Amino acid sequence: MSQKYNPITWRTKMKKTSQICQSKLPDNTALKQQQLPAYRLQLSATGVLSGFFATGAFCLGVGIILILSAKSIKEIEIKYTKICANCAELREDAINFDKECTCSIPFYLSETMQGNVYLYYKLYGFYQNLYRYILSRSNSQLVGTDLKVRLYLIWYNTPFFKDQSHNGTPIAPCGAIANSIFNDTIILSYNLNSSIHMEVPMLRSGITWWTDKYVKFRNPSAINLSSAFTGTAKPPYWSKPVYELDLEDTENNGFLNDDFIVWMRTAAFPTFKKLYRRLNRVQYFIEGLPAGNYSFNITYNFPVTRFKGEKSVVLSTLTWSGGSSLFLGLAYTVTGSSLPGRNYRLSNNC
Amino acid sequence: MDCSLVRTLVHRYCAGEENCVDSRTIYVGHREPPPGAEAYIPQRHPDNRIVSSKYTFWNFIPKNLFEQFRRIANFYFLIIFLVQLIIDTPTSPVTSGLPLFFVITVTAIKQGYEDWLRHKADNAMNQCPVHFIQHGKLVRKQSRKLRVGDIVMVKEDETFPCDLIFLSSSRGDGTCHVTTASLDGESSHKTHYAVQDTKGFHTEEDIDGLHATIECEQPQPDLYKFVGRINVYSDRNDPVVRPLGSENLLLRGATLKNTEKIFGVAIYTGMETKMALNYQSKSQKRSAVEKSMNVFLIVYLCILVSKALINTVLKYVWQSEPFRDEPWYNHKTESERQRNLFLRAFTDFLAFMVLFNYIIPVSMYVTVEMQKFLGSYFITWDEDMFDEDTGEGPLVNTSDLNEELGQVEYVFTDKTGTLTENNMEFKECCIEGHVYVPHAVCNGQVLPDASGIDMIDSSPGAGAREREELFFRALCLCHTIQVKDDDDVDGPRKSPDSGKSCVYISSSPDEVALVEGIQRLGFTYLRLKENYMEILNRENGVERFELLEILSFDSVRRRMSVIVRSATGEIYLFCKGADSSIFPRVIEGKVDQIRSRVERNAVEGLRTLCVAYKRLIPEEYEGVCTLLQAAKVALQDREKKLAEAYEQIEKDLILLGATAVEDRLQEKAADTIEALQKAGIKVWVLTGDKMETAAATCYACKLFRRNTQLLELTTKKIEEQSLHDVLFELSKTVLRHSGSLTRDNFSGLSADMQDHGLIIDGAALSLIMKPREDGSCGNYRELFLEICRNCSAVLCCRMAPLQKAQIVKLIKLSKEHPITLAIGDGANDVSMILEAHVGIGVIGKEGRQAARNSDYAIPKFKHLKKMLLVHGHLYYIRISELVQYFFYKTLYDTAYLTLYNISFTSLPILLYSLMEQHVSIDTLRRDPSLYRDIAKNALLRWRVFIYWTFLGVFDALVFFFGAYFMFENTTVTSNGQIFGNWTFGTLVFTVMVFTVTLKLALDTHYWTWINHFVIWGSLLFYVVFSLLWGGIIWPFLSYQRMYFVFIQMLSSGPAWLVIILLITVSLLPDVLKKVLCRQLWPSATEKVQQSTKLKASVTAAPNTDRPLLKDLLPRPRRH
Repeated sequence: MSQKYNPITWRTKMKKTSQICQSKLPDNTALKQQQLPAYRLQLSATGVLSGFFATGAFCLGVGIILILSAKSIKEIEIKYTKICANCAELREDAINFDKECTCSIPFYLSETMQGNVYLYYKLYGFYQNLYRYILSRSNSQLVGTDLKVRLYLIWYNTPFFKDQSHNGTPIAPCGAIANSIFNDTIILSYNLNSSIHMEVPMLRSGITWWTDKYVKFRNPSAINLSSAFTGTAKPPYWSKPVYELDLEDTENNGFLNDDFIVWMRTAAFPTFKKLYRRLNRVQYFIEGLPAGNYSFNITYNFPVTRFKGEKSVVLSTLTWSGGSSLFLGLAYTVTGSSLPGRNYRLSNNC
Repeated sequence: MDCSLVRTLVHRYCAGEENCVDSRTIYVGHREPPPGAEAYIPQRHPDNRIVSSKYTFWNFIPKNLFEQFRRIANFYFLIIFLVQLIIDTPTSPVTSGLPLFFVITVTAIKQGYEDWLRHKADNAMNQCPVHFIQHGKLVRKQSRKLRVGDIVMVKEDETFPCDLIFLSSSRGDGTCHVTTASLDGESSHKTHYAVQDTKGFHTEEDIDGLHATIECEQPQPDLYKFVGRINVYSDRNDPVVRPLGSENLLLRGATLKNTEKIFGVAIYTGMETKMALNYQSKSQKRSAVEKSMNVFLIVYLCILVSKALINTVLKYVWQSEPFRDEPWYNHKTESERQRNLFLRAFTDFLAFMVLFNYIIPVSMYVTVEMQKFLGSYFITWDEDMFDEDTGEGPLVNTSDLNEELGQVEYVFTDKTGTLTENNMEFKECCIEGHVYVPHAVCNGQVLPDASGIDMIDSSPGAGAREREELFFRALCLCHTIQVKDDDDVDGPRKSPDSGKSCVYISSSPDEVALVEGIQRLGFTYLRLKENYMEILNRENGVERFELLEILSFDSVRRRMSVIVRSATGEIYLFCKGADSSIFPRVIEGKVDQIRSRVERNAVEGLRTLCVAYKRLIPEEYEGVCTLLQAAKVALQDREKKLAEAYEQIEKDLILLGATAVEDRLQEKAADTIEALQKAGIKVWVLTGDKMETAAATCYACKLFRRNTQLLELTTKKIEEQSLHDVLFELSKTVLRHSGSLTRDNFSGLSADMQDHGLIIDGAALSLIMKPREDGSCGNYRELFLEICRNCSAVLCCRMAPLQKAQIVKLIKLSKEHPITLAIGDGANDVSMILEAHVGIGVIGKEGRQAARNSDYAIPKFKHLKKMLLVHGHLYYIRISELVQYFFYKTLYDTAYLTLYNISFTSLPILLYSLMEQHVSIDTLRRDPSLYRDIAKNALLRWRVFIYWTFLGVFDALVFFFGAYFMFENTTVTSNGQIFGNWTFGTLVFTVMVFTVTLKLALDTHYWTWINHFVIWGSLLFYVVFSLLWGGIIWPFLSYQRMYFVFIQMLSSGPAWLVIILLITVSLLPDVLKKVLCRQLWPSATEKVQQSTKLKASVTAAPNTDRPLLKDLLPRPRRH
């Protein structure tokens, strides 16, 4: 072979030889010749029409079922910011933090609420989805491993991580989310008649995700809870430290407190509700909440007027499809009915 | 490595200084000149190392990074990444840093690999052994060690290692033959001359004794210019000074031919050789798709900036109320409070930018690049484009232009070697009106079809026989062929009759074909020996003719003559030339019969030559001799005087006959051209050939049809009228017709339609291109373009290589900015290949220069059809879908951002973009008009872009508000528990992944198992990934916010319903639009899809012999 000094020629040559080595004739495989056996998807009019029709029928069916089930749901919501105006006014000023304020809201339930009844609190205009807010927590502290928030050194100066008034003692639970926990107490009482007022039995268990309660939240290990939290301060807006949240039930105390866990699962929108209690179906309430006179006795602690928000309390039953929203059902119905309509137009075109 | 770097740096530095000195002095063989000679400034020259690599081991990382970040997209993402690092943003720097890092790494590895290959090639070349003369002995050294002043020996068929001054050769006359095919593409042999005073040095010892210095100019890239002088010192102390010109210079890259060995002295080495100076890297070509991609990117960038701006403004409007700015539950940090408002606003703006930066898809670039890279393999693998004769498949040099193949509007093709095979074959000769066809020898077999008209044995009579033999002798004598005796090498042109094989070498392939043809008719040209031409006649007797004069060929006369004296003492003048130049000088012979034959042959696309002779009586010859001698020695106007002399000599000829040589059209060239024209592509033929031949070829390959009205714009015509008039007249003719015709006729398909073909020659073109004195240079050009646009075919003949490029440029820059494709095989096509949007090289006979410089190289012209119609079409469809899809799918943002673009949805689209065949390959090939559907970047127009963007926005709205209404006011679980913001995000994201993937599934027309695997697989992967991601506490993450969110979501019935609903709703408009459009305004492609489907349903019947089905199956391997 002649000597080639031309760099370009040489390179081409090299390429060529390497090709020879790998058999110069390209492989006759279906893949390389782009001739893999294939199914050609063709959107034919009949196929699409029948597809549309089937989808439409399905949507319509689901939609109707959803609407029907949504109709069966009973829900009652009472906004109590205005009703408890005096309390709301008191809470405007932080100086009054230790003054207790209660508020009673009577209401009449005209129909029995069948089945499981859930008690929610609902906030309007509270942005749990603010960026700084969402991040203002320490998950490692909440599983009890990093109680003193050492891992969060970068947030050393962020609010609610160190207690500024106590030489920078770490706060447990730290962060803005925990600090702003919803701290109203809501008690529902059933007024059987004018003299007998009985508290409706409520369950505070089962309101959290199982994984939250048993995996994501853990108390630090120690003989008793209060010693476990030594060296930490309570969040500034809290009235009592975290290990005194529920002194009766150790499974509900500290970070494992259900209300706390529910609060820590931040909501996606400024208007949100969170599960507070479930009806304990005993005695009078085996069937659910019977019709009659009730009242909410609320210890009003959580200030909302300062951010022009509102609070309400919600009682609701549920079906298989969740709470009372016509939206999903309506959306399905509309989609379902619009499909055959389009079908009709299409078949005219053909 | 390091050493070499330093050295090159030093050399560069020195070279920079050297530029002040305008000449260099070389001591031949490093011998100092005798003390009496002038003192020269010593200079340093680089060694003979060739460096084509871009990086070295040390500078790779910084240099490569720098080059990569010069790309605007990469730079943008770098900025985003830095912003994320500096300011506190909702997304972590990892989400944008990781893809960027990925892209950069992949590109760096690719480039590094390529550079490593270059290094390897360089090294191999630099280490090639070279023969040096050192102290009178022959030494082998590595090529890179060659230094200026070394004396080098080069053997036959070797390439010169550097630029040499030719000292002596093994040939007695001090000449050598050289081909410069790899330099300028001319495969003909050129003669170079050794320095007069040194040509006697034939041995190593002799040459070592040479004592000389060479003074020459500094290296410059012009291949044909060289000025220098040599001082040869002899014992007499008085140096002999000789001028040196380019005929003494042997260039690196050229190959020595026909000469056993030569000696030369190195004057330019390494990167200073003319070849290295001429080597320039190809400029990056960008495809139209990439251009529109960039435009879309800019639009999205604008959207992004405005989105960020609006959001910042809105944020501050919203925050203007203090209870929102800093509610009691969400305090700011101290530093945040103290920060300046403007600084804060700016930071917020940047944060929004970063947040929304996902609408600019970082992974699109990677995916597009990968699609192109992998996609180009399909071209290389294509069995249909493999040529078994040469054993060459297509080569893809640039994968960036795959989709551009689907966009071509103008094809510029070379004629010789591209349309034709450049394989001349003697077809027939016509002597006195009798047609002779030699036995077509093809692989040693006599073709049967030759027998019918073979009239050689049935001689028509004694007188005619004499004429016939004269004709053969004329052909045997009238040429400039050199014979190379070749006993051992199995030459391609073996003469079957004679015992030993000999190879004819000539600058004109026609001559070789003629002489070989005549050989088959019984007369063999043996050799030129001591000025006697020897011919072996039919009776195996050797006839000797004394060669008296050669009146060499030139393109103005278009003929050549020889004057010979036969053994009997008769003096003949044989003249051979184009019919138009012979007929006017003929006084005798059967002109009419021959003329009709010649014309018939010309129409068939054969190259015809006429042969005539004249007997000279000695007195006449004397006159001729003196005439020629006078012209030859003339000092002024020698050319002109010679031409005049020739004119006088070549007259009053007797016509003998005519020959026809076929430059065979490439297989299926006509078929291909027809298909291209049907596809709405305009085909221009640019050739350096003469008009008649070129036109004949055009007829043969159906570029011109019988009803094509030819318009000529040639020098001859322009001489008669002024350019201005000709142009206006032509444009009038053209426009009149096109005005009366409807647009439909653009197709040029209907047989009765009058279409125009334009023929223009190089001289006329340069007149048009020449800017006029009054400044209105654009005028003629516009007019010319106007004419061209209305012609279905254009033939440009007598084109210089540069003019070819000019034409391509002219069209490229015209108003519509059409996509051009140039195809050619020779070095003369390189300029046009580089100029056009897509350059295709035919791996042909004239060297690989064109193939090297092209973007794609194919073995045969016919492969262009598949390349354009099938591959181009498919790639265009694929890439446009890919780009649109990327813009579509990146319109949303939420969590999982990084992975979303890279892993969940990239693979399916990549696969789609590799596999999609919306119509079968066979259909595409059968119906070229489908190409029109995608012409002019149809699938990436603004309308389509807006449609996709709209679709994306619509889907985004559906996702967000659907989920929003779902979550607001509602409990979505049946156990009363509440979902948080992470669930919301996950839900939206799940819907999105499914929608986007299903949308792709809907767009896929071609479902292979790979598509199935990838589309369903990616959905499955998403689900599995989400389960894993949320199902396990990942120890390395400080937050576990996704923990169990996905599982929790799936455990709720309404969430499922929401997902299904949202997917349905978001896919609906697209499906609807598709079906409606298909029913109401089907495009040609869709019609074909429909009909294929019908056919396919017919095929389902037992009749399985249909070609369609058969073609779909893998064919048995051909051998």
